[in-house]
Amino acid sequence: MEKVKAGICAFFMAIGGFFKRFGEAVVKGDLFVKLSLIWVGAGYARRKQFIKSIIATIFEVVVLIYSIGFAPKYVSKFGSLGTVKQESVFNIVTMKNEFNDYDHSFLILLISLISFVIWIVAAVAYLHNVIAVYELQKKAQAGEHINSFVEDVKELFNHKFHVTLLFLPVAGIVIFTIIPLLVMILVSFTNYDQKHMPPSALFTWNGFDNYINLFGGGGLTITFGYAFVRILAWTLVWAFFATLTTYIGGILMSLLLNNKKTICKKLWRTLFIVTIAVPQFVSLMLVRNFFADSGIVNTICANIGLTGWLRDMGLIGTSFIPFLSAPGWAHVMIILINIWIGVPYQMLIATGVLMNIPEEQLESARIDGATPRQIFWKITMPYMLFVTGPSLVTDFVKNINNFNVIFLLTEGVYVTTNQLMANSQAKETDLLVTWLFRLTQDYYNYKMASAIGMVVFVICAVFTLIAFNRMIKGDREETFR
Amino acid sequence: MKKKTISVITHNLLIAFLAIFWLIPIIWLLVTSFSTYPGMNTSTFFPENWGVDAYKNLLFSADSVAQFPNWFKNTFIIACFSCVISSMFVLMVAYATSCMRFAMRKPLMNVAVILNLFPGFLSMIAVYFILKTLGLTNNHWGLVLVYSASSGLGYLIAKGFLDTVPASLREAAYIDGATEFQVVWKVVMPMSRPIIVYTVINSFLAPWMDFVFAKIILNAGISDQWTVAIGLYNMLERSLINTYFTQFCAGGVLVSIPISVLFVIMQKFYVEGITGGAVKG
Repeated sequence: MEKVKAGICAFFMAIGGFFKRFGEAVVKGDLFVKLSLIWVGAGYARRKQFIKSIIATIFEVVVLIYSIGFAPKYVSKFGSLGTVKQESVFNIVTMKNEFNDYDHSFLILLISLISFVIWIVAAVAYLHNVIAVYELQKKAQAGEHINSFVEDVKELFNHKFHVTLLFLPVAGIVIFTIIPLLVMILVSFTNYDQKHMPPSALFTWNGFDNYINLFGGGGLTITFGYAFVRILAWTLVWAFFATLTTYIGGILMSLLLNNKKTICKKLWRTLFIVTIAVPQFVSLMLVRNFFADSGIVNTICANIGLTGWLRDMGLIGTSFIPFLSAPGWAHVMIILINIWIGVPYQMLIATGVLMNIPEEQLESARIDGATPRQIFWKITMPYMLFVTGPSLVTDFVKNINNFNVIFLLTEGVYVTTNQLMANSQAKETDLLVTWLFRLTQDYYNYKMASAIGMVVFVICAVFTLIAFNRMIKGDREETFR
Repeated sequence: MKKKTISVITHNLLIAFLAIFWLIPIIWLLVTSFSTYPGMNTSTFFPENWGVDAYKNLLFSADSVAQFPNWFKNTFIIACFSCVISSMFVLMVAYATSCMRFAMRKPLMNVAVILNLFPGFLSMIAVYFILKTLGLTNNHWGLVLVYSASSGLGYLIAKGFLDTVPASLREAAYIDGATEFQVVWKVVMPMSRPIIVYTVINSFLAPWMDFVFAKIILNAGISDQWTVAIGLYNMLERSLINTYFTQFCAGGVLVSIPISVLFVIMQKFYVEGITGGAVKG
């Protein structure tokens, strides 16, 4: 926690320092520094950095044209997300039906957001520019060498190489992660769904309505609250068992394989790896048909009389075992199948960790007369937990978002019979993410999907922060070195 | 002595039993792909008539549903491009954060931690609309962008490796007058071959393994544009499964072979990456 506080403090201090330097530059700068408040290329031109001056000017012009000529059309409607509905109007000149000049709510949202990002970046660049120009002035006054353009470019491959390296990756992250994330946050506060699909219809802000619906408010006809609680509970149960079973299974399997008694360790390990090297969409789809209602396993079970026995016991009411098509059965099967697919991964990791256990520790324990069991519980397990603790946390989060296993195993196979779940397009076996996926792909219910996405993010973030804080508390870094 | 032999045998038998258990579905995949019956065989584990019809149909007589050669080509092209871009991005970010020191380093890394908490999958709706606005849905370039654009966030494993390259080597090069670019190219990269191999294979495999993103971006239902993943998924639609199940198995086998080979090569770096990063904290 202290670290976080210090980080936040440092962040605001840095921003303060930035503005202070800007103020200083404006006050103490010469005419050209002050002129660069209006014409950003001025300072560079004064120091004979003409190419830089031209580039800066071009940027300024482009941003100004964008902000005056293009952005206002959309940003001005950001408050209402558009008022003019799409209509087909007969045009007398062209003798055709044409659309009126309608508002596209999503474009308004997206372009407004992009404009905000551009303006923030431009503002920072603008302030930074004034500071840079003032630095140039100071250099000139001290009689120091001022870089030519070629020298500036060379710097980008030398001391400022990190700028070159980071520019494209960061731009990619901003466009494909940060902006989508912000769009999603905004959409979760609108009524964007099938009835409000641009371009033919408009959508608008609706405050916290989606979240209220999700958390059980919003009246009796809306069952999102019920479905949300059910699915959230299953998501957490699933993530807990999926993480725990594969973790323990991985350790056990790795101990088994790395035992002295094992003949040709490499061969066995490769055999287990084959199961995870097959892409999940192949192996999971295959297993799904393996356990289908009329699949091969059911045939075998019927032949050996297991199906009949279960029916006599009253455990099933059908002529087959509903491995993946009835609640309860499906939940258990999903976790079991996940063991099949997840244990080899954990086995690989556990093998790597076990091989790194300091041999002297094991040796001294043996000399002191510790039994293998004691060694396992007192040395191997603590070491294991210490090294893989962080990845255990990330595994849990990954399992909360484990789309593949649930979707590939149950989509199209599992049909819910619970009317309340069906009303909100949910199934008992859904995780929050598969529910979100179905809401967007099949039902175009973007508002609820975004709200669910936000909830998933908050759950993951809170869990991770708490877990990491606990784990890092008390510096244990040196314990095993 | 005899007791020991028995325990060795039981131990290995236990492992063999587990291995068979783990491999049953894979064996089923393999044997079913050699069946002459096109649908799913539900009565026996092994097919009744053996043959390579499924492979023949899959590779040489493409129809509107099964376009395996096209899918393979599409996936391969997408994988190549996104592999080049995302490997570069990952290594660039890793080098900048590991070997260089600049003011924004820590804040950027902290932001990356927070962004990594947010599963990329969740922002998919918005990415889809952005690509749609740009006219890049149902387009392979759009998919390449989705796979590679924010790959810089996955830099931690590569950074963990670069952290182990001794700083003294780089300093020696600086003293000799090398620029940062030359240091990367001539000193650090030649020493980092394992992590480069890991990064390249990893980013090459991502498009082969991925299912969700391809399904969202290539949603128009034009089957010759699909990747292997959606193509094979589609073969098991309820109305198609009885004619295409064996071809699905054959396709699964054909995709799995190259992927398994790459995966086995990558596996030892994978372990080093995960545990190595964790030990360093």
